[in-house]
Amino acid sequence: MSHAEAEAQADTATAASVTIGKPAAELRALWLKPETQSRIWSHFATVRAVDDRTVDWSVPGLTGGDYRWRTVTVEAAPERLRWSTQDGADVPNIGVLAFRPAPGDRGTELHLAVRFDPPGGAIGQALAKLFHIAPHEIVRTALYRFRALALTGEIPTTDPQPAARHDGTGR
Amino acid sequence: MRALCWNGVNDLRVETVADPEILNPNDVILKVRLSTTCGSDLHLIDGLIPTMREGDVLGHEFMGEIVDVGRDVTKVAKGDRVVVPSFISCGQCWYCQHDLYSLCDTTHPKPELQEPLLGYPTAGIYAYSHAFGGYAGAHAEYVRVPFANTDCFKVPDGVSDETALFISDAAPTGFMGADFCDIQPGDVIAVWGCGGVGLMAQQSAMVLGAERVIAIDRYPERLAQAEAFGAIPLDYAKVDVVEALKELTGGRGPDACIDAVGMEAGGTGLQHAYDRVKQALYLETDRGTALRQAMLAVRKGGILSILGVYGVMDKFPLGLLMNKGVTVRTAQQHGQTYVPRLLEHAQRGELTPAALATHRFGLDDGPKGYAMFKHKEDGCLRAVFMP
Repeated sequence: MSHAEAEAQADTATAASVTIGKPAAELRALWLKPETQSRIWSHFATVRAVDDRTVDWSVPGLTGGDYRWRTVTVEAAPERLRWSTQDGADVPNIGVLAFRPAPGDRGTELHLAVRFDPPGGAIGQALAKLFHIAPHEIVRTALYRFRALALTGEIPTTDPQPAARHDGTGR
Repeated sequence: MRALCWNGVNDLRVETVADPEILNPNDVILKVRLSTTCGSDLHLIDGLIPTMREGDVLGHEFMGEIVDVGRDVTKVAKGDRVVVPSFISCGQCWYCQHDLYSLCDTTHPKPELQEPLLGYPTAGIYAYSHAFGGYAGAHAEYVRVPFANTDCFKVPDGVSDETALFISDAAPTGFMGADFCDIQPGDVIAVWGCGGVGLMAQQSAMVLGAERVIAIDRYPERLAQAEAFGAIPLDYAKVDVVEALKELTGGRGPDACIDAVGMEAGGTGLQHAYDRVKQALYLETDRGTALRQAMLAVRKGGILSILGVYGVMDKFPLGLLMNKGVTVRTAQQHGQTYVPRLLEHAQRGELTPAALATHRFGLDDGPKGYAMFKHKEDGCLRAVFMP
């Protein structure tokens, strides 16, 4: 693998983890709720659950238009969920979420990894150039939102009342 | 509603903006009764902190009356007169449950802006730039308060609005700084800075049993207030502070030193902000000096309690701390830990934060209030706004 290929490939995989002071089974059940999926990914994608194992995703592209794909759950073990895009996805990808016990009384560690296979292959287009969001923010923000939802029943927001008059995103 | 908005460097205007609404089930809407200026606001206003946006409503120290409640709010109700700490905390996460409220895991709506600077996101805070959450502030007629069950504290009868106001931030920050000092009988505590936080740290150290409290500043009216609280004033423009502290402690040095001065600029560590500090050398010199003095003055094996807001400091004499075995304790205020106790101290007259309210303004005079506060005109310690 060339240096460029390795770099591009690294850029297509992204992972993050959080620890949440709740039992794995409770967190797993919350994660699998359709409305949870649409809420925790909203910084990245419009997500709609078709049924309990099929989800439609729509992500605005950097250059206009949307990338669309459908994922299905391919593994639903107590300690691991895995999903994968169906044929015809604009940006094929796979995701895996592992639940591991945290030390002491700290609850459960969630380890989330997503790997994208951009059109044109790994060196065709770096992920950061496809979407409006940096790759690491896709998974990290989803986990932070999920942590807030699991602990407090809500996701922190200032929308539509940011401090700023025009643009509350700070971007 | 009317609100005091930041529009650019040193450009504050009172404007008509949309009223806040309940957005989440644990929110309340507060009708602001009083809000006040804080030294840390000046660095937002001066443009030293990045991620401010035009139109940001300022103000993170406030109290008021609840006028609307979300569906999950159970501990407070419409009509309650409450004080609210400046950091937004959920009460449910590991940090909140360990009384580390300003480190709350769940209240920052924009962690991607802050995490690169600090490694992890902190709690959100009202009106302290978008890197710290982008929540609208309280120099306004109304403010939205999330997590009211954890963050709203009913003000008991007999505690005035002006007393309760400073139990939002200056008093809990100062009290936490004194609490960090682990005060034992006979302890002498030195406090750099006689602004709102420094004065509250001094009074708190006395409440916590300090033998003697020494207050360091150079503004006569602030030193006079410290003396009125029972501290020994020390004018750093007139004496060698380290030598004076040795003299006052029989050569031992203070058992703990509290820095309530800070070097606010560059609070988020971005190069832009740091460059501004370097340009404004007087800031770096003056304010870095306070912390270095405290490191030198503190006794061997003593405690250094840092309340001043710092950004990045590239000349930090770590060897002083290491070779003297100094314990450093620091945090943004974990207000929710202290507010109930502070309200009791205030009720008994042991803490008198209303003394900080030297100047009062209607909200429409907000820009004038900040100008007086910034330049310490007429002995202005804190400007208080009544919307």
